[in-house]
Amino acid sequence: MEESPLHPFELHNYIPITLGGLDISINKAVIMMWVVVGVITLLMVKASAARRLVPGKLQSLAEMLVDFIRGIIMDTMGKDGMKFFPLIATLFLFILFCNLLGLIPGTYTVTSQIIVTAVFAITVYALSLLLGLMFHGIKFIPAILIPPGTPWWLIPLMMPIEFVSQVARPVSLAVRLFANMTAGHTILGVLFGLAISGGLLIGWLPFAFTIAMNGLEVGIAFIQAYIFTVLTCVYLGDAFHLHGSEDHAH
Amino acid sequence: MPPTQDPFYAGLGQAVRIGTELLAALIVGGGLGWVVDTYLLHSNPGGLIVGLVLGVAAGIRNAYRAAQQWPQA
Repeated sequence: MEESPLHPFELHNYIPITLGGLDISINKAVIMMWVVVGVITLLMVKASAARRLVPGKLQSLAEMLVDFIRGIIMDTMGKDGMKFFPLIATLFLFILFCNLLGLIPGTYTVTSQIIVTAVFAITVYALSLLLGLMFHGIKFIPAILIPPGTPWWLIPLMMPIEFVSQVARPVSLAVRLFANMTAGHTILGVLFGLAISGGLLIGWLPFAFTIAMNGLEVGIAFIQAYIFTVLTCVYLGDAFHLHGSEDHAH
Repeated sequence: MPPTQDPFYAGLGQAVRIGTELLAALIVGGGLGWVVDTYLLHSNPGGLIVGLVLGVAAGIRNAYRAAQQWPQA
């Protein structure tokens, strides 16, 4: 009965596999990722199968999603950002469906593992650095470390500050998604524990709260997927128009 | 599905950003300072102090930068 609310986050290997010293065992998170990929693929393939001029329910849902992602890219990166549409749409849909499907009792929230969110964040950040180097050459590195208009005597102070703020980008990206998902599910776990140990007399109160929290968590699932996508766009956009965040403030 | 133009969701998205922005820079600054202390210079605790100060500055700078992207009210 007395169970840690963090217990649902533990992973146990179903099929232990090691490959060259790497542990690639199949566990709940891996299966959940396959399910998420399967659900997205099925939804999108089925939605785009008919291609009617007047869209049906599924097709208009898919069109809304695509239009939404397109809106994010156009708002933050402009027209040249559409080259990254496949990457950003994949990230958004994967994170969104991981968050949403994880809310179904009995499933697992893949994004509550910091390694998953860290891989996304580091990939995005490394890509933005690579793009910057590709578009601007080696002068990209001093350009991101020294903000425009810095007086020369402030440069020794600004360079370490900007370095820390650059390194903080992937960290904040990863920690934000991970912390929000873990916190939400821990609260749900605590409330469910209270509901079970409270019995019928008082247990209905925390149980009612779990329902309210679940509604809130659906909102958080959307907002976190949205923020991750927007920031991905902002960081990638910064890479090709240097200091874009200051010039293109809208 | 909230459209991007919806001011409620756009505003909420921006607001949730700021807190982690401050925290992450502080973690990175302190962490780098600690690494310098422990493995590179053995300057305990000077590196940690400098790193935390840099982290606070970087965090405020990042939060300021995030706030600059807000639509002008």
